[in-house]
Amino acid sequence: MIDEKLLEEAKQSVLDGDKELAAKLARQGLDAGVDPVEFIEKGFVPGIMEVGDLFESGEIFLPEVMMAADAVKEAVGILNEAIEASGKKRGGAAKVVLATVEADLHDIGKGIVASLMVANGFEVIDLGRDVPSQKIVDTAIEEGADIIGTSALLTTTMTHQKEIEELLKEKGLKGKIKTMVGGAPVTERWQKKIGADGFGENAADAVRLVKELMGKKTN
Amino acid sequence: MIFKTLRHEKTNEIPWVPFAGVHAGKLKGYTAEEVLTDADKLVESLLEVKRIYEPDGMPITFDLQVEAEIFGCELLWAKDNPPSVRSHPLSGEKKIPCKCEIPTPDSGRIPLILDATRRVKREIGDEVALYGLICGPFTLASHLRGSEIFMDMIKDQEYVTALVDYCAEVACKMAEYYIDAGVDVVAVVDPLVSQVSPAHIDKMLAPAFTAVFDFIRSKGVFSSFFVCGNATRQIDAMCRTNPDSISIDENVDLAKAKEITDKYNITIGGNLPLTTTMLLGNQQDNMVEVIKLIDSVKDHRNFIISPGCDMPYDTPIENTIAAGQAVKRPEQARKMVENYEAAEEDIEVEIPDYENLDKVLIEVFTLDSDTCAACTYMLKSVTDIYDEIKDIADYVEYKYTDKENIARMKKMGVNALPSIYINGEPKWESIIPSREELIRDIESALKK
Repeated sequence: MIDEKLLEEAKQSVLDGDKELAAKLARQGLDAGVDPVEFIEKGFVPGIMEVGDLFESGEIFLPEVMMAADAVKEAVGILNEAIEASGKKRGGAAKVVLATVEADLHDIGKGIVASLMVANGFEVIDLGRDVPSQKIVDTAIEEGADIIGTSALLTTTMTHQKEIEELLKEKGLKGKIKTMVGGAPVTERWQKKIGADGFGENAADAVRLVKELMGKKTN
Repeated sequence: MIFKTLRHEKTNEIPWVPFAGVHAGKLKGYTAEEVLTDADKLVESLLEVKRIYEPDGMPITFDLQVEAEIFGCELLWAKDNPPSVRSHPLSGEKKIPCKCEIPTPDSGRIPLILDATRRVKREIGDEVALYGLICGPFTLASHLRGSEIFMDMIKDQEYVTALVDYCAEVACKMAEYYIDAGVDVVAVVDPLVSQVSPAHIDKMLAPAFTAVFDFIRSKGVFSSFFVCGNATRQIDAMCRTNPDSISIDENVDLAKAKEITDKYNITIGGNLPLTTTMLLGNQQDNMVEVIKLIDSVKDHRNFIISPGCDMPYDTPIENTIAAGQAVKRPEQARKMVENYEAAEEDIEVEIPDYENLDKVLIEVFTLDSDTCAACTYMLKSVTDIYDEIKDIADYVEYKYTDKENIARMKKMGVNALPSIYINGEPKWESIIPSREELIRDIESALKK
């Protein structure tokens, strides 16, 4: 059992976007011998998920979310190292390949999605921005990923998300590697139209979606 | 009419300002890159926008990267999009650029835009309000600094204020060049304002924006504050920066936003959905969307209809025509939509037996050639050559104002107006053929 006060402080450090404090609390927890997995899941993750919800409801905006994502990344990084050092693994983790599609340079949103996914225990391979569809699909195959998540911020680059569906179909991997799409002009209607497996409105939504898709996954 | 609206006076109609940025090029078959780097192609495209879309106001360019490029941001060009910024000179280095770097009328692509503005002003400046679009100070700051600017807003507010103030000086200079070249409205386009809190706007951005709007006003032209994305929560803070008008994107409820802008007596423009309606919808959808927008707003004073943001390059031309027609003649559009819904397949229409006609049959389908400019030109392209072709061809016009005609269009699968069908085959949709092209098509139909 981790002290409630420590969990609350961890959560608050993320809500405040206080990277130094989040890191300090992570170390403090380790020194006190807490279970790092539990610390992440009961302290830092609830913090970042609440940040996601506050963003969705329009109470906070991009700067606050970026600060929070940065804080959680730092704390989870420290705790993940401890988990690895102990030879343990966080259970039930999904492996996700993330990228902003070709000819699109917007990667703030995708970066936040990556931070939240890592915090939630998913293994994330972030290919960056302006990534060709073929490379995204090839990486997912090589890495044995469960999910491909792509971001597109332009109406003209959204079409690459469709291209990924087609590449997966060609290789007979449609449904085996699940796909999720996001980005400002991307809608649920678009997701259905191209046959992607899920649409995330924001980063917190994307995390919930990964969990849902992993639940549905049939190999 | 734009001037009246921006002076907050009552108008008989609602002004129509289609944001045909790179989309202007599509009208003339030019890529985005071509219209943004070649003044002749830009002017030709803009004149076509005026001719076909009958706007009350129109932008010269919709490219927020002009200033950034001059400051050394690398651009990624595309054929169907404005360029994007690839690199940020102040990334990792928190400094304010030297005043000596502020663009002059000779920097980067500014001469091209000024040249195009002057030429377009000469040709159509009496009939349409020209909008000069400049990159807003916050978006320019983000181009220079990269995404770190968002974290700076929390960690180092003094730096953000100083950088945004510098960018406001750039904006004033840009506004001055465009005003001298003849624009009637300067639009300060700052999509990123929708991404930060009203408190941050008040604290770090508002003085810069107010300075730009005051400057524009002092030069005797109107100003507009364009924002893209969901700026519902920011509208009030934007109003407090004191622009003459605000233009909002599709994810904001315009009727609600107008209640706020009305309090400040600021004109509001918006907000036809770009992707779902303009790009992927049909003409019906566009008319319906315009009517919905008009009906949602009680007081039509201080109101401009325009797309939510820069129109996608590939927006079907006929969709913009339909939207414009609905803005200008809402009652007629309402009737057309009703008729469309009523015109079920059971209205009997006889489709000609094209293969056995004595002459080639040219069918011109229009919204209404008496009121829609593109339709008038489409019909005129046929009537102009009629004397030459009357021995070999007949023509007939079907207007969308008539239920039976709608049933015919449905039966024939006509979904772009205006269009010309020759012997039942679609030949020209939205794009008006030249004399030679049309004669060639008629002759080739004759040979079949």
